Amino acid sequence: MENSLGKSINFIRTSEKAEHQVTHHHKIGHKHGEGSAIDFYAYASKLRCWNPTFKVVFSFLTLLLCIGLNNPFVSIAVIIGMAYLTVLKGGLSLAAYISVLMIPITFIIMGTIAIGVDFSSQPIGQFNLFLGFGYLFTSVDKLQEMAFLMLKVFGAISAMIMMTLSTPSSEIIGVLRKAHVPKLIIELMNLIYRYIFILMDVFNNMRNSADSRQGYCDFKTSCTTFGSVASNLLVVSLKKANAYYTAMEARGYEGDLIFLEDEKKMPMRHLVIGAAFIIFLIILGIMTH
Amino acid sequence: MREPILKVNNLHYSYGNGNPALDGISVDIYKGEKIAVIGSNGSGKSTFFLNANGVLKADHGEISYQGTVINKKNLRELRKNIGIVFQEADNQIIASTVMAEVGFGPMNLKLPKEEVIERVEEALSYMNILDFKDRPPHYLSGGEKKRVTIADVIAMKSEVIIFDEPTAALDPLNAQMLEEVLVKLGEEGKTMLISTHDVDFAYRWAERAIVFDQGKIIADGTPLDIFKNTGILEQANLKRPAMLDVYEMLVEKKMVADTKDYPTSPQDLKVLLEKQFKFA
Ligand SMILES: Nc1ncnc2c1ncn2[C@@H]1O[C@H](COP(=O)(O)OP(=O)(O)O)[C@@H](O)[C@H]1O
Ligand SMILES: [Mg+2]
Repeated sequence: MENSLGKSINFIRTSEKAEHQVTHHHKIGHKHGEGSAIDFYAYASKLRCWNPTFKVVFSFLTLLLCIGLNNPFVSIAVIIGMAYLTVLKGGLSLAAYISVLMIPITFIIMGTIAIGVDFSSQPIGQFNLFLGFGYLFTSVDKLQEMAFLMLKVFGAISAMIMMTLSTPSSEIIGVLRKAHVPKLIIELMNLIYRYIFILMDVFNNMRNSADSRQGYCDFKTSCTTFGSVASNLLVVSLKKANAYYTAMEARGYEGDLIFLEDEKKMPMRHLVIGAAFIIFLIILGIMTH
Repeated sequence: MREPILKVNNLHYSYGNGNPALDGISVDIYKGEKIAVIGSNGSGKSTFFLNANGVLKADHGEISYQGTVINKKNLRELRKNIGIVFQEADNQIIASTVMAEVGFGPMNLKLPKEEVIERVEEALSYMNILDFKDRPPHYLSGGEKKRVTIADVIAMKSEVIIFDEPTAALDPLNAQMLEEVLVKLGEEGKTMLISTHDVDFAYRWAERAIVFDQGKIIADGTPLDIFKNTGILEQANLKRPAMLDVYEMLVEKKMVADTKDYPTSPQDLKVLLEKQFKFA
């Protein structure tokens, strides 16, 4: 953790070294869970200065069109468009982008295989494979359906990933607040987001200290250690919550959690290009229907 | 007679486990004072600070700010005017960007947004961290987080600033940065209370020292008087500042004349030696 955070800080500071650092970080990133890597990419993205409301609305519209039009050409256009935005415009390395996309790929493949391939006791269908106790069978139509479905899901996911890789969570929460999501939920989201990183640090420290005392030497010990670390984490988080509340009160908190949000400009150019892309998708969808 | 800015009278507080954490604290604090609060772990320093800010409510005793006794209604006034920089930055930083964090206090004061932004920028440039504005706190280093928490309080424009063990987690470079900020704030006439275990720092920076022991104030005076008093040092388990030892040794061995002009830092000692040897 420490190590990768150190790198992250460096990366944000020295943009000229950006290219190199991203690939470097990416190698380490996997060890610490993609969650914090995604958060970090969002802060480093060159699209971060774009208006968050625009990004959220744009990616949601794209997602809806990708699903609603149900058209492989639209899906391919979305996949290419989003990759272009995230990688070329946002400055994320291709390797990092693919590694983030790979997170859902297993689920997609497993889910769509179930649709493309079926099982039967008789040798039916265009293609079949004898497995000793029955037949796996499929057809060109089914395979095509499976491929289109995969494209559709990928398009939808890349639209969402474009948003998450360019907009820090706090800004997404700000957009939700503007969309009149209930205050309680917004406040919870804000606190949880900040809290995740604090507890992750605490957890890492406890785990490392247990590790340094041979707490993970064999399976049984590991289980006991995991239990104690987890219960300790609960106690620590309760204490931290208390300390947090005290500090908030000291700064005049009186029940309303309101944060200063930075207003990001909404250039006409983004609006026009965004609208053009959406219209292009719709026309493409209708023409290739 | 000057009116104290903060007057604490016979304060008692216990955390609900029976043992009193504060046991009859009375102290008057005047505008512009630079006070070091010293005492061993668990002697009640943090508890005193939280009471002074109104976060904890005393079991007995009263607090007055600029002559007004604090009650439920004007508690806000107290919190606005007394800012605390907490010992652990991670227990203080609540927002997900530095800007939102520093703006949290002013937002709670219900100031108009333009003024909040103005104050945030002012506080950030005061702490020399204006370019951190859009960064998330979880990618900052310890020293950087400390600066953010100080900017938090500067943005609230509190009259009295309390630092709870600020140097505890800082490396020497950041500790020096902190001391420079303290000097700068002092020049602006801010009243400051700092709890610390660094007696050398207390000796060189403070004009007044308050010693806590087991929830009581056992001494209150100039750092020089307190550090010369062996009884108090023993009772509170304090060390003597190195410069005081050095000076007294030099005087004892007749190497410098005792001018009662106690040097508090090596630079001061150098000046003193140069002065004395010119006339010798
Ligand atoms: N949150 C708490 N709950 C219960 N007891 C506490 C709490 N915080 C401090 N105490 C107790 O109050 C006493 C004073 O603590 P504190 O004010 O934190 O001392 P200091 O800051 O001088 O180290 C100690 O005995 C400590 O154990
Ligand atoms: Mg303390």
